[in-house]
Amino acid sequence: MQLKRPPSALHLGLMAASCALLSPAARVQAADSVEQPFELDSALLYYKENSGRVQTIEPVVSLKKDFGDQRILGGTFTVDSLSGATPNGALPSRKPQTFASPSSTSLIPQPGKKTTLYTIVPGNLPQDPHFKEQRFAGDADWSQPLGLDNTLSFGGHASTEHDFDSLSVHTDYSRDFNEKNTTLSAGVSEEYDQIHAHGGNPVPGSDYELYEHEGGQTKTVSGALIGVTQIMARNWLMDLNYTYDHSEGYLTDPYRILSVLDPLGSVTGYRYENRPDSRGRQGLYWVNKVAFGTTVLDVSYRRGKDSWGIGSDTVDAHLRIDLGRGVYLEPHLRWYHQSAADFYDLYLSAATPAPQFMSADPRLAAFIGTTAGLKLGVTIGRYGEMSLRLEEYEQRPSDQSSALPQLQGLNLNPNLTATIAQLSWRLQF
Amino acid sequence: MRVRLPLRVLIGWITTLSLCGCQTVGIKPWQHDILARPAMSLVSDPMAAAIDDHIYFSKEAASGGRNFGGGGCGCN
Repeated sequence: MQLKRPPSALHLGLMAASCALLSPAARVQAADSVEQPFELDSALLYYKENSGRVQTIEPVVSLKKDFGDQRILGGTFTVDSLSGATPNGALPSRKPQTFASPSSTSLIPQPGKKTTLYTIVPGNLPQDPHFKEQRFAGDADWSQPLGLDNTLSFGGHASTEHDFDSLSVHTDYSRDFNEKNTTLSAGVSEEYDQIHAHGGNPVPGSDYELYEHEGGQTKTVSGALIGVTQIMARNWLMDLNYTYDHSEGYLTDPYRILSVLDPLGSVTGYRYENRPDSRGRQGLYWVNKVAFGTTVLDVSYRRGKDSWGIGSDTVDAHLRIDLGRGVYLEPHLRWYHQSAADFYDLYLSAATPAPQFMSADPRLAAFIGTTAGLKLGVTIGRYGEMSLRLEEYEQRPSDQSSALPQLQGLNLNPNLTATIAQLSWRLQF
Repeated sequence: MRVRLPLRVLIGWITTLSLCGCQTVGIKPWQHDILARPAMSLVSDPMAAAIDDHIYFSKEAASGGRNFGGGGCGCN
């Protein structure tokens, strides 16, 4: 009987190498190392607020290319067309109120000056009906590995509007540990903005009727981020980030004013708002992603705090439910709460000197914001997808009334509701 | 920063995991099948995430978290 010869060391080595090459991990690694097709991600956003307020149509196109070995170049181009009425910060009144659109250079028609007036009927929230803006924005990012466990990425952003230009750069570094179960990342960003409001930037805090304007202004925003991403289990991924940013410069909204009221609540005049010229913001963001079979839950919590006295909490949850045949449904719920800025108030009192800083911008008020929506998606292959999402956003301010006699019965800071519709298409070529 | 209840819960949760869960947290290289699904990437729909970041940046005082805090827009 002839005995079968035991495999040689060379045979064993070749068998091991073959098995390694056929393993899924090796296949993924091999796929990662070669050039990948282009990835195109596009969307059309329609956003509309209630009561004839702002609406926008925004096409976005994003292109990404993996040149192999995780060397990835990405770029995004956005066009944002906005129109509609936007609140100017003044309160509703029992009497008609007349304002000038920001492009005006005088409140009173006179030779050589441009004056576009609008009148608000009693009881209505003062809104400038002439708001119109178009924004073009471009982003580019490059990401590449450094050795086996490190990734370096950097990118930039540029955007332009009629009254605002922005340039920013950022760089991020990440390092994998613990068999790639843990990733630590850190990044910094720097942004430079130019603000040149229609009709000139108002002198912050100045009397509205004096129409004191000055030249263009600038602001800078420096940001930093540190984070840890941890694989918790085969079906559970977690990410925790701390962010800090510091803004400095012209942080006032050039189009916002405040009503000045007498002790009865009647309007005696208006002032432009005035915000501090620096602001520090901190944020702690924690997200968990868990798969239950083919269903995926994405739930996050964010705590924010800034040097203007605003604290915020955000809870955001998406549940992706696989319906089979590449079709999925994704309900979305979001809850947001913020406290008011230290210098926020609905109005100024004529009986006391104007404070150093003041704003009646509803975005600096205390409010609760909720979002509810649903997305329907159809996946095409591994990367391709078409989806449609419809969402409703509502903002409910805490402070909507006043005890002043002339203001009783008026809604001074009405709820905001907005409809969000997004059609997306993603493909590889 | 004044520590509020949700933040305390978060810190407690992370501390508990760090102290007790180190031996069981994480997976082996051949167990990435579920996490490799596109739906399991941290940001599975980058376009929708970017659009949402822009909308909420223009309407609320807080922004960012997932990455840097927005910006590049005169809307806020």
